[in-house]
Amino acid sequence: MNLFKINLFVCSFLLAFTGFAQLRMDTVKQLSVVEVSSSRQSTFSSGNKSETIDSSLLDQNSAGNLADLLANRSQVFIKSYGLGSLASSSFRGSGASHTAVLWNGFNLQSPMLGQLDLSLIPTNFLNDVKLQYGASGALWGSGAVGGTIHLNNTSQFDKGISASATIAFGSFSDKQQQASFEISKKRFVTSFKVFNHDAKNDFPFINTAQYGKPEQKQSNAELKQKGLLQENYFQINSNQKINTRFWYQFSDRNIPPSMTQNSNISNQKDESYRATTEWQRTGKKLTILARFAYFDEGLKFKDSMINEDSKSRTKNAISEVETRFTITKFDLINIGINNTYSEASTPDYLKNPSENRTALFGSYKVHTAKNNWNAVISARQEFIENKEIPFTSSVGFEGKLFKLIILKGNVSKHYRLPTFNDLYWAGQGAQGNPNLKPESGWAEELSLIHSSSYKQIGWELGATAFNRTIDDWILWLPDQYNSWTPANVLQVWSRGLEYKVNVNYTIRKFKVQLSGMYNYVLSTNERSTTINDAALGQQLIYVPIQNGQCNLSLFYRATSISYTQVYTGYRYTTSDNTSYLKPYSVGNLNVAQTFGWNTLKIKVFAQLNNIWQETYQVVAYRAMPLFNCQFGATVYFNQQNKRN
Amino acid sequence: MKTKTLFNLSALALAITFTSCKKDDPEVPTPAPVGGAYDNGVFISNEGPYGSGTGTISFYNRSTSGVTNDIFEVKNSYPLGNVVQSMEIFNGKGYIVVNNAGKVEIVDGSTFASNGVISGLTNPRNFLGIDNSKGYISEWGTGGINGAIKVVDLNTKTVTATINTGKGAEGMVKVGNNVYVTCSGGYDNDSVVTVIDATTNAVVTTITVGANPKNIKVDASGKIWVLCSGQYAPYPATNLVKLGQLVRIDASTNTVDLTLPFASIYSQPLNLVINNSKTTLYYSYDGKVYSQLSTATVLNTTATINRNFYGLGIDPTNDYFYGSDAGNFSSNGKVIRYNTTGVAVDSFTVGVIPGNFCFK
Repeated sequence: MNLFKINLFVCSFLLAFTGFAQLRMDTVKQLSVVEVSSSRQSTFSSGNKSETIDSSLLDQNSAGNLADLLANRSQVFIKSYGLGSLASSSFRGSGASHTAVLWNGFNLQSPMLGQLDLSLIPTNFLNDVKLQYGASGALWGSGAVGGTIHLNNTSQFDKGISASATIAFGSFSDKQQQASFEISKKRFVTSFKVFNHDAKNDFPFINTAQYGKPEQKQSNAELKQKGLLQENYFQINSNQKINTRFWYQFSDRNIPPSMTQNSNISNQKDESYRATTEWQRTGKKLTILARFAYFDEGLKFKDSMINEDSKSRTKNAISEVETRFTITKFDLINIGINNTYSEASTPDYLKNPSENRTALFGSYKVHTAKNNWNAVISARQEFIENKEIPFTSSVGFEGKLFKLIILKGNVSKHYRLPTFNDLYWAGQGAQGNPNLKPESGWAEELSLIHSSSYKQIGWELGATAFNRTIDDWILWLPDQYNSWTPANVLQVWSRGLEYKVNVNYTIRKFKVQLSGMYNYVLSTNERSTTINDAALGQQLIYVPIQNGQCNLSLFYRATSISYTQVYTGYRYTTSDNTSYLKPYSVGNLNVAQTFGWNTLKIKVFAQLNNIWQETYQVVAYRAMPLFNCQFGATVYFNQQNKRN
Repeated sequence: MKTKTLFNLSALALAITFTSCKKDDPEVPTPAPVGGAYDNGVFISNEGPYGSGTGTISFYNRSTSGVTNDIFEVKNSYPLGNVVQSMEIFNGKGYIVVNNAGKVEIVDGSTFASNGVISGLTNPRNFLGIDNSKGYISEWGTGGINGAIKVVDLNTKTVTATINTGKGAEGMVKVGNNVYVTCSGGYDNDSVVTVIDATTNAVVTTITVGANPKNIKVDASGKIWVLCSGQYAPYPATNLVKLGQLVRIDASTNTVDLTLPFASIYSQPLNLVINNSKTTLYYSYDGKVYSQLSTATVLNTTATINRNFYGLGIDPTNDYFYGSDAGNFSSNGKVIRYNTTGVAVDSFTVGVIPGNFCFK
């Protein structure tokens, strides 16, 4: 149907270019060794605060998942239901569905739920993660409200043959195996990564919610996960590249009871097939990029205690073509078109819905010769049949003042489309609302960053102030028939300050890094939903007003020690702010040692979590483990290509 | 030098933020000191936030008009658990049914001190005291489709027998030596009232009523009223295919002697309550509260209170009508009291999602 037409069209388009290009292969003379990723994020986002989680940090946490990594090493609040359980992100006081998660530029948010479970993303499948704070609807469309998580895979040509294998064992019967294999030639790279993870997660905890505060073992918390990532990169000629990626993942998790629930027997299975291809032609003035993705994701939830056995499946086909044109040496323009086709099949709706979205987007960037100052204007308009979607635009700038200070700012419109569940749910006691409007609003931010160095000491200080409104926030409430239905009712105002400090000191082979981050976020409900609404003007639930963290890392030759302390402040659990969860502070330690012989390297690592034995809850009455650890070893092999 | 100044300024800004944030710690809502007895008032069971939260019990003191929230945790230092369904007082003890936690917490009816737990239940709904040593707990069972009455030894606080009923055993009344159990269908559908001999625990008979009977009350003449909420079209559903009914059972013959059908294909009648003299029935329907005499043979078409409530109650001491409003379902709810002429008297704030009343 529609989906497969698009699929065929884009595939034939890409194949045609490949075939055409192959004829000219012999004329290729010079090839860049490193694939320069010139993403729209790096080129056309300006003024938004951003953080990079680089490959070394991903490597340090290679046997973990993205949710745990972000909870420890970013300013994003991660709402986790427990060890290995559902985890969602809250950027700057927004909700879980207000984060766009882009895998190499493709939105991974489920069209049914509008969010992604970050605990299902293995860090070893990623090469770098960029966190773009603030709204950027004009660049990424629906869902880029609180922030955007860019999950990127990159590759390098001409690195030879490499392979690695990891085994890790952790507390509560946690076992993980990973393997990777890569052939990197001058013009192509092919790589395979696989992982297998299972755990019982039967950690002991004191159940303060039961009579006599008994010590219990977490029950029904087993998980089994496995995944495969296969990537191919071809340098067709000096100015054309194509790549394909395939990511399969299966997860089978039991869902543990809350501390107030006694027992639970529910289970959730997630299975996803994600295939993408990208083609890029880089010219002197004009760059063309075409990309296509096809995602097929299934979710099965079973809880025989409440006679629930639901199966749903979503399919997404995303096609995007964009051009970048360098007008003069001071300005460039980006124009593109995106088509996203989504369909879902579930017995929970009256009929299986589909949605065909087409978006036109463009950005214009002007910058100084040395790129010390730049400004970007962006706009995006999305079209869905019979739906009104806000026109989104943004203006951002970045620049250096007196060589010591970077000043950047951004004003951006954002929106979020209602999910399929919001629109089409049909069940006993709950009904979707097909007339929902998208949530939308404006966000502004201003950052000051100072970085400098003196002798062996380098430092960076950053402060960001932001302001954001989200209007027509969708909330489910019972109607006069006591049937739950969503409506565009809330208005949420978020504002806050974010600070970060990084200091590093290097002396010979010894390096010390000290970093700290602190957030102060107010995110309040500005509109009554009921008469005398006690929730008016109050902080949203599960949005900490304060959180902070610091990290101290020491590196000496092939040894690294990294200590992180994370503080999360009060979080309210009722919308009138009458109940709350106490602050918690958790300390984690990571130690790694690498040994090397020629082409072979061995790394042994230990990850020690919650070393100060803090009893805490991220979500009310969801138990979290006390001290837990993971030990592992990785063997790396790398055979360089022979040089002529 | 410039660098140093900048560094100092930044550090200062950071320090100011940290110190200025001290005052943002939440103000702890200190509950009123508990020393006095909960002897003259109303217990309100609040289901608690959805998901992993805990329900609570609030107490409204008739003599002081004061309200104390979360009296169970304040007294016993642990929460009641997920989804507090209902509470009954029997022989001076309070029996609090905690649905999702599969238990009944027993408390002293005056001090609210914990007196033990009946555990091992599956989706329990209501408690009914039979005699000094025996109680019945209705439950939906595994999957919410296997209705049963659990017979409990009140001395040992253990389940001694299981009486299978229709699906989704819900409301119970005792008339003579028989206990009438509505079988609400649970997560499925059913349309029967199971009658049990309270001495032998044997099923006497099964009476077919309307679709998905939930609430059950006895009137002054000994007749039994059953509110059947109706049945939705097969899942996924948008409307009722079997409409709600108010059904009357003659306890002497165990047969239905009056059926009053509701007209709405969207609204389910819910929350049947009866006044102290057992002559007037109240229920929610179509976003309003209706009432009618137990002698009426048609449904009243004029609403008594033009407001939608989540739970209803009638205070037997003065026939004041209590309606609970769960607001946005994620913050504390309200209880509004009405006098016998249907005029609102006052209101007070209770816990999250107030659903049931227990008058003492």
